[in-house]
Amino acid sequence: MRFTVFKRAATASVGLLASLFMAMGVAKASDVTISHYFSGPFMSVMGDVFDDFNAATGFTMKDSPVGHEDFKTDILVRGASDSLPDVFSYWAGARVQFVVDSGDLSPIDDMWNRDGLDNVVAKAIADSATLYNGQRYLVPMQFHYAGMFYNKKVMSDAGISEMPSDWEGFLALCETLKGQGITPIALGSMNRWPAQFWFDYLILNTAGPEVRAGLMDGSVGYDAPEIAAAMSIWKDLVDAGYFVENANAQTWTDASDKVAQGEAAMTLMGTWITGYWNDLDMEADVDYDFFPFPTINADAPVSVVGPIDGLVVSANVQNKEGAEAFLSFFVSDLETQVAWTKAVGAVSANVNVDPSVYNALINRVIDTVGAADNFAFNYDLATPPPVAEVGLSMFQEFMENPADYEGILARAQESAAAAF
Amino acid sequence: MADAQARVAAREFNPWRAVLVISLGCLAVLFLAPTVGVLLSSIKTTREIAFGELWTVPRTIYLGNFVEILTNPAVPHYFKNTVLVTVPATILSIALGVLAGYVFSKLPFAGSNLLFLVIISGMFFPPQVILIPLFQFFNALGLIDTLWPIICVHTALGIPICTLLMRNFFATVPNALRDAAILEGASEWQVLTRVALPISLPAIAVLATLQFTWIWNDFLWPLIFTQTDENRTIMVGIVNLRGQYSVAWGVQGALSLLASLPTLIVFLFFQRYFIKGMTMGAVKG
Amino acid sequence: MERDALYWRVILLAAPIAVFTALVIWPLLSSFYYSFTNWNGFNPEYDFVGLDNFAKIGTDRLFASAIINTAIWMVAAIFLPTLLGLALALLLDSKVPGGTIFKTLFYLPICLSAVVVGQIWIWIYQGDWGLLNTVLRAVTGSDFSYAWLARPNTALGSVIVAWSWQQTGLSMVIFLAGLTSIPDELLEVCDIEGATAWQRIRIVVIPLLTPATVVVVALSVINSLKGFDILYIMTGGGPFHSSDTLAMHMYNESFKKYLMGYGSAISVVLFLIALTIIRIYFRNLRKVDEIYG
Repeated sequence: MRFTVFKRAATASVGLLASLFMAMGVAKASDVTISHYFSGPFMSVMGDVFDDFNAATGFTMKDSPVGHEDFKTDILVRGASDSLPDVFSYWAGARVQFVVDSGDLSPIDDMWNRDGLDNVVAKAIADSATLYNGQRYLVPMQFHYAGMFYNKKVMSDAGISEMPSDWEGFLALCETLKGQGITPIALGSMNRWPAQFWFDYLILNTAGPEVRAGLMDGSVGYDAPEIAAAMSIWKDLVDAGYFVENANAQTWTDASDKVAQGEAAMTLMGTWITGYWNDLDMEADVDYDFFPFPTINADAPVSVVGPIDGLVVSANVQNKEGAEAFLSFFVSDLETQVAWTKAVGAVSANVNVDPSVYNALINRVIDTVGAADNFAFNYDLATPPPVAEVGLSMFQEFMENPADYEGILARAQESAAAAF
Repeated sequence: MADAQARVAAREFNPWRAVLVISLGCLAVLFLAPTVGVLLSSIKTTREIAFGELWTVPRTIYLGNFVEILTNPAVPHYFKNTVLVTVPATILSIALGVLAGYVFSKLPFAGSNLLFLVIISGMFFPPQVILIPLFQFFNALGLIDTLWPIICVHTALGIPICTLLMRNFFATVPNALRDAAILEGASEWQVLTRVALPISLPAIAVLATLQFTWIWNDFLWPLIFTQTDENRTIMVGIVNLRGQYSVAWGVQGALSLLASLPTLIVFLFFQRYFIKGMTMGAVKG
Repeated sequence: MERDALYWRVILLAAPIAVFTALVIWPLLSSFYYSFTNWNGFNPEYDFVGLDNFAKIGTDRLFASAIINTAIWMVAAIFLPTLLGLALALLLDSKVPGGTIFKTLFYLPICLSAVVVGQIWIWIYQGDWGLLNTVLRAVTGSDFSYAWLARPNTALGSVIVAWSWQQTGLSMVIFLAGLTSIPDELLEVCDIEGATAWQRIRIVVIPLLTPATVVVVALSVINSLKGFDILYIMTGGGPFHSSDTLAMHMYNESFKKYLMGYGSAISVVLFLIALTIIRIYFRNLRKVDEIYG
């Protein structure tokens, strides 16, 4: 009697196994496999892009979306097995460099030249994001920009109408806000990376891009005086009480919530924050706005910081023609670029996209980036992954104990030197 | 039998029972708090959660998250795939554990302890260690993006715990029972299926519950072994609801509640076997 | 008859051993192979570096703190979910009204997705409006806004509490099943002898639960060694590695720093530690056989 349950279960499982065989698919020659970390709400946007591409070219995109953090594990396992998808999304900068150096990507120079992408991709981005060891490997999907996003109502209630462009002005702004009982700066460093923009801008705006590039490639140490000087400015801000308490307890969305609610005035964050705020029923230029990170050293070139997501073709690509066609389509097709960049709250790297499709705020982002002397990848995309891990934890330790910044830098240098 | 009833009846007047129920109630409330959190998140909007109103009594019940889940065409796929993985893997791992556990308990041999130790040691490492070799193995077989590797790996990874639990439960079956059956001409297989297994039904029920729950809730192996959304399981589906720079707390909470129903049903089905009643005494006599 | 027994051993063990060897032992050994290399995961080419990776462990500050955290976690794992699960099983075994409801409630935590549960616990520990601080503020009347997960002193402990919450239902279920194998006659003898409830539990129930206890402790220790999902979601080993366990450290080195060789070396050490624990554990397993002859 008791066993009939198990027997029935066993019979059922045989049936299940049989239907499993049916589930096995076979790859077709026109298929192009792709893996990307644009899960969640972006999946359907990507699906539309695939449909358009399939209709235009006759290829069939086989999609494999993976959540952002898990993507890193997944792609590494597949890379280790020479079984990468034909196309995958990856972060331009040191991360793509790492995969290129490991021999896992195919150069796309032929396609780039044939399809005239020089006339499509903005030159500054083409130079910084697509060239590795002298060859083209990537097309940019879009770029983001990190700026000081703030709550308009909080600022106007505090009697501030003009956003600061230099450091004295910024300090005065913070002091005014603090005097009115508003925390000037929200930061959520629980997942470490949001703190990196502070580190990036402080170093770029004091020591300049060359020192920063040296730090990223290991020729400048974390214990160098320029780095310590930048950290001491950051420490002064924390000491003055301009940052929220318990930054390490908060995620970037917590920090964004604080600004949205008016508990804090501003946060240094990428343009994706606009997508998050819009979901909270906030409106660009009505509820929120941004200003560029203020100048500290007037002699330093003007730098902007942000990540670029790109598409790359793997070295073990099965359908090279289809893969390259998709890369070309994604960056060149205006309709795709507009729909995609608007969905992810970013800016197109395609020079032919008419800025008027974007709202006024994104247009000011475009102007700000266009006027800058230097576009830099944010820290964890600019330095090799093993070193980036060291630095990201360092930022967290600094937020916990800013007074010890020199000790923290010395320890970071020790670990970074071992990692390079 | 009458004695036992009298004992139960005598307990009716025990004031400790009231204390017991009350303390269980308190514990249950503490235990329930995080689960209530999941429930609350599923009926609130992202804006409410973002603005710190997760733990407040909801003024209105927002059903948008559930609507989004129930109208998502991928969700039925996710459920079907998860069942296709979980049911066979649960049955197979228990079956293999029963076989091995029986030998280690009732038919020990020189070196059987060492072999048992090797199997048990197979539990003691994080699964990430064998990700790459296993991916390469199934890739060579051309089985990536099917459900086969997940079933196989969960069967294999379930062997240590199933063997351990079955061995320890078979140990409580007196050897004299087996010896008597063998003397009467029963084969080892008959001893296993007719004598040992019926006594160990509670253990099998435990394993069925635990293995089902673990495999159902596993995320890592389906993530690695499947690639297209059609072959993904429910846990991967929950994680993929959020994007790189977007949150989906409410929808994730709603899907998570929905996804917990099968495991709860399995638990409710098997929990009757945990209750005392099928004692060894009956078999012994 | 002995030849018969040999025949049955081979028949019965063939399938489990074959599956286990192919899908666990072999991949494990092949991943240990990488501990002698400087493989980065992506690059098909790598060099043999001898014992360099193991030498590096000696100088790795993060490894040392991960060992300590793993030990803390293991000790907590042996006591928290085991004792709580045992207490619940004993309470629920005595046919309380609504027993099934209670059992289901205590089992519920492991039915929910780890990602979602981890997020809920983050919101319980949240400093400003988290459930814990809200309750503490109401009870003490003070303005309490401690950030539990952000402080190196409390991050690990906070995750362990959440993890124990999830594991308790599991221990409870195994203990409940274990209780079924205790003959009623023995308990009746206790009643006749006039033993108190506590004496009954201590003298009869606990010793006879040894097989179940062995399983529960093993599971708790194993899950604490592997302890990953909820830790990964709640702190990711942070702040600045203060809640890193060996499993987390291995993951970070292998998959975030792309140091597959070093990550493999860590897992070899993790495995050696496990073997030592298993030896201790085996002594307890013999006790099972002594109690039931």
